Amino acid sequence: MVALPTTPADILPFVIAIVTSHAFITIVFFPGFIHLMLITMFLTWYERKILARIQLRIGPLYAGGPGGILQPIADGVKLIFKEVMVPYKADKPLFLGIPLALVFLAALPFAVIPFGQNWVIANLDVGIVFVFAVTSLFPAMILLFAWASNSKYPFLGGLRSLFQQVAYEIPMWIATLSVVMLAGSLNLVDIVNAQAKLWFIIPAFLSCVVFFISIMAELERLPFDLPEAEPELVAGWYTESSGAIFMLLFLGLYMKLYLMSSLVTALFLGGWWGPAFLPQPVWFIIKTIFVATLIIIPRGVYPRIRVDMLIRIGWSRLLIIALVNLFVTIFLLSTGILASWGL
Amino acid sequence: MVALVNYIIVSAALLGIGVYGLTVKRNAIRILFAIEIIVNAANLNFAAFTRYMNPAQVTGQVIVFYSIAAAAMEAAVGLALILVAFRLNSTIDVRKLDKLKG
Amino acid sequence: MSLVPPDLIFVILAAVTIIGSILALQAKELIYGAVALAISFIGVAGFFVFLDAPYLAMLQIAIYVGAIVVLILFTVMLVRRGSLDEMTDRAEGGEGTVGLWLAGLLAIGIAGVAALAGPNLPTDTQPASLPVSSLGPVLVTQYPVPLIILALLLSSALLGALILAKVDK
Repeated sequence: MVALPTTPADILPFVIAIVTSHAFITIVFFPGFIHLMLITMFLTWYERKILARIQLRIGPLYAGGPGGILQPIADGVKLIFKEVMVPYKADKPLFLGIPLALVFLAALPFAVIPFGQNWVIANLDVGIVFVFAVTSLFPAMILLFAWASNSKYPFLGGLRSLFQQVAYEIPMWIATLSVVMLAGSLNLVDIVNAQAKLWFIIPAFLSCVVFFISIMAELERLPFDLPEAEPELVAGWYTESSGAIFMLLFLGLYMKLYLMSSLVTALFLGGWWGPAFLPQPVWFIIKTIFVATLIIIPRGVYPRIRVDMLIRIGWSRLLIIALVNLFVTIFLLSTGILASWGL
Repeated sequence: MVALVNYIIVSAALLGIGVYGLTVKRNAIRILFAIEIIVNAANLNFAAFTRYMNPAQVTGQVIVFYSIAAAAMEAAVGLALILVAFRLNSTIDVRKLDKLKG
Repeated sequence: MSLVPPDLIFVILAAVTIIGSILALQAKELIYGAVALAISFIGVAGFFVFLDAPYLAMLQIAIYVGAIVVLILFTVMLVRRGSLDEMTDRAEGGEGTVGLWLAGLLAIGIAGVAALAGPNLPTDTQPASLPVSSLGPVLVTQYPVPLIILALLLSSALLGALILAKVDK
């Protein structure tokens, strides 16, 4: 730790020591705040471009730069200047405070996700459980926001979203159990380090599929789009949000997308391991954007899933497949088939 | 530094608050809040004792682990009971829910 | 008074937990009470982190705040009707004083006994940092029976809650 400044001449070296310390750089620049904001804004533009190409149109084009790359900034400025309409008899503290809490909770797990061997903000020994504990708080916030909107459609959308997210958390946890068993640790840095020779997508392929489908349901993306079903519910649980509130929720949703994609990368796709001609964080980001593309593409391709199929897939099919993979993993580990890869 | 005594004091304060809520409040859901506060106080006590007395033997943490799971079960069943009571009597005031019949 | 950072964090956590639980019982609206209860639970989770039990802290957040508070919010939203508006939680008769005396005696009694035995209780001696994996073997080898009983209890509680809350048409 640096010594606190005692004389005015000490202040400048103290500030320089803090600004160049590893903790400060990781928290503010990479993989912290600024990188998070930049990539989240990039993902909003990226999604619109990909969906546009799938639907045979062009997407944002005019917002400056090549191909409308400044579109997210234009969106942000527009949304800041829009009026925030609080519905009649809505619960003001909850209505205005929960979007902030959502963005905070969506950004919090990034503290434990490793972007490189030394590029992790907090090397927690219970890293993956921390991520799941924080993601289990989202349904509660969504239900509170939907209730605070004091209106029928958001409340129905909020209930649907709650059911969906709570149901698909369980296959997510069990799929992660196989990975934790293969790596032998709950620490995300250890999990990525254990994939140095063999990415976990190969021995735990079924878990990867289950995890991928579960996070698509957690993010409420098509085809799991029921809470947001436009012909029925206008916009689901965030119908009543407008202006800065909507911008915060939008940011929170895309941060969650980035978070889940980076989880898939860290757990199954070998994190930062790749040929050495690119630095480690770049490999991580490339793999994460690839996973995000795979999540975005079904939005333009598949129809919405029915609610009884949704419940059936979440509670029975995915759970059984994840448990099957758990047994396969136990079998592989106990018979030492994977020993040649150091597992 | 923080001594064990401080944890016991916090835990005792939480217990007091929980017992006050349990005896005084009339809303069944608030009574459930009070029960959860009491269980949390006990969990805190267990975790504090195991860390200061014998950290190598994680018995306290195992007890807290089971206690959290049991509290989840009890909250689920308790809330289901409150729902049923509300459906039958249209009230969740525990002063009025004093008949066993129906 | 000069507070060392661990002491300061302890005081802040204690304040959050206790004020959260007081607000949970005293708030006019049940939903605000549930939110205050969630904050109190997060305070207790912070205590667990402080007590070298990070896995328990994450479990506390995931189960208490992520599941039980959601259940409570659910129930509060389903139980809304005129009955809640006309019922006041203000204690009538002697209940308020009896409750305060009982709670006060309990709390001060326990805290007093602890404070009197204070010098004999261990202070922060060893900075124990057990690996998280030390919990698993103990659970399975030394306490397997409660584990299996817990599993049976969980399934029966699930079935019970399901059957209770079902609406008979």
